[in-house]
Amino acid sequence: MTENMNTAAPKNAVKKHKKHKGIESLKSTYGRLFVLHWEIGLILFFVMPLFQSFYYAFCDVSFSGGEYHFQYAGLKNFNYAWNENANFSNNVSLSLTSIVGSLPVIVIISLILALLLNQNFRGRLFFRGLYFLPVIIASGVVIELLFKTTTADVSSSGVSDSFAANMLQIDDIMAWLSLPTEIGAYFGGLLNDIFNLVWNCGIQIVLFISGMQSIPDSLYEVSKVEGATKWEEFWFITLPMLARTLILVIIFTIVELVTAKDNVVMSQAYTLMRGAATSYGTASAMLWIYFIIVGVFMAVLMGVFSQVCLKRWDTGGRS
Amino acid sequence: MTKIFDNIKGLYLKYKNASAEARYKAVLKANSVFMAVLRYVILIAIGYIILYPLFYMICSSFRTKDSFYDPSIVWISPDLTMENFMDALKVLKYGKSVVNTLLYEIVSAGIQIMSCSLVAYGLARFEFKEKKILTFFMFLLILVPSQMMMLPIFMNYSKLDFLGFLGLVDKLTGIDIRPNVLNSFWTFYLPALLGVGIRSGLIIYIYIQFFKGLPKELEEASWIDGAGPLKTYLRIALPSSGVVITTVTVFSLIWHWNDYSLSSMYLYAEKWPLAVRLSEITSAEAMGTLRLDGNDPRRIAIMMSGCLMFVIPILIVYLILQKKFVKSIDRVGITG
Repeated sequence: MTENMNTAAPKNAVKKHKKHKGIESLKSTYGRLFVLHWEIGLILFFVMPLFQSFYYAFCDVSFSGGEYHFQYAGLKNFNYAWNENANFSNNVSLSLTSIVGSLPVIVIISLILALLLNQNFRGRLFFRGLYFLPVIIASGVVIELLFKTTTADVSSSGVSDSFAANMLQIDDIMAWLSLPTEIGAYFGGLLNDIFNLVWNCGIQIVLFISGMQSIPDSLYEVSKVEGATKWEEFWFITLPMLARTLILVIIFTIVELVTAKDNVVMSQAYTLMRGAATSYGTASAMLWIYFIIVGVFMAVLMGVFSQVCLKRWDTGGRS
Repeated sequence: MTKIFDNIKGLYLKYKNASAEARYKAVLKANSVFMAVLRYVILIAIGYIILYPLFYMICSSFRTKDSFYDPSIVWISPDLTMENFMDALKVLKYGKSVVNTLLYEIVSAGIQIMSCSLVAYGLARFEFKEKKILTFFMFLLILVPSQMMMLPIFMNYSKLDFLGFLGLVDKLTGIDIRPNVLNSFWTFYLPALLGVGIRSGLIIYIYIQFFKGLPKELEEASWIDGAGPLKTYLRIALPSSGVVITTVTVFSLIWHWNDYSLSSMYLYAEKWPLAVRLSEITSAEAMGTLRLDGNDPRRIAIMMSGCLMFVIPILIVYLILQKKFVKSIDRVGITG
């Protein structure tokens, strides 16, 4: 505004400015109208239920006469879940270690596959179609039934077991490399889990590919002129430019792993929830404990990630 | 054998005697051939992991009871049978369940696709004060699992109310007008309509990323020409966002098709969609209707044929949309 005042026709400029401001406020009103229904939905189906479930975690829940009754009971539910229930704290540590173990594997596998599928080669469309198949099938009951059957019921034709056992004798390799058995056990577990892991990569691959496509080609052209190898291209262009996609993928993967139905904590709480009404308070407390732990874990991860990678990469990517 | 060796020797001599430039080119070529081979090896190996359970599913759904006792039969048994499919059809109540799925899940997928794009357009294109906090809530919506809110929402559904207004009416006049919407389509349509359906957070996020990348100029031109915001959205923004709509449609359809935790909670047995029926396929009740005991190996065959029939409709939709979807992935531009 001060700039406009210095020009030859200050009055005109002021008028113009006012009119401009009018449009801006009108536009913000329109913006609010676009999201109005969503705000209602957020309150009705997100914020309110969240507070309710938080409140229920502090309550004794009972069901009588067709209605639920809540009585404030303090920290009883939390105490029960954490100290008295034999399985819960154990399950939490179990599921957290499994998340920490499989998260990097899923992210790395899907990054490699996305890199491969993003190149130009014969049969690309076919392979893409194939690799998006898990997106369709994996997010549901089918995968659960498929893997439950194939591992537990018929040992002779178990998919995962027979596959891993036939393919590699992991212990032998570890002995040959004279590495500690813990590492061998970890990799053996991964191999046994390979179906689950690969089948969990679908959406991550989609996210990575569409992130890679949004990297401008000019960067690669410059790097080619400068004589960078493919390896350098990956480390200095692709990965830094994917930093934000990487965060999204990590968050998404954690959420998927946490809310998967075969997650031990979730299945415990879920069974409780679908059982008697009296156990709902406990189930709610369990879920809250679990998600607060996971939330802290995620916050730490994000903090480290943004400190270490984003700050360095964001400038590195641009220059 | 010696001929091959001679050939290799010849190649090596050729390489040794060539100029520096030719050598460099040869190395590059060998490199790219090596990379191509490596690429196909990795892709095929992991493709095998993806296809293996599918083959297992298809093969075992055609097997007879006797073939399960024969250890020499791993994949395809010599005598195939359709019996398993017949039984699975019966247990799944296939026709009815598919109709239920279409009625509840697929319709709400359609509603969700539209309502979420409205929200995303508002968040991507307009500036207003609450935008930051709303974006924060969008991320929360992605992060917080729906199981947390399941029982509270269940209870709210039995007496649908908004901020206690209808409850206030009840208290003042004594007439309870809070409707019980449980076991009706509202349990799915309402959240979808309000943009908080199954994984709406992620869908809104994908939309926002796309709208941000869309050039503003066309929309500004239509503003100048006097079109209102809704008209601009409908006539300019939506027609040019076919790419993102394809992506989102595939995602939304799949997630709705596969949803069973919500529908098993909010709907009673006669309205269950296919996914819930499938998750109950090994239950004692289902086995009872077929008169099979718990250790019968045909349980697995029936389960697998049920899975196959569950997958087939969505697979057909995917195959139709696949080319578009695979290409659309390139252009949606999710950057985070």
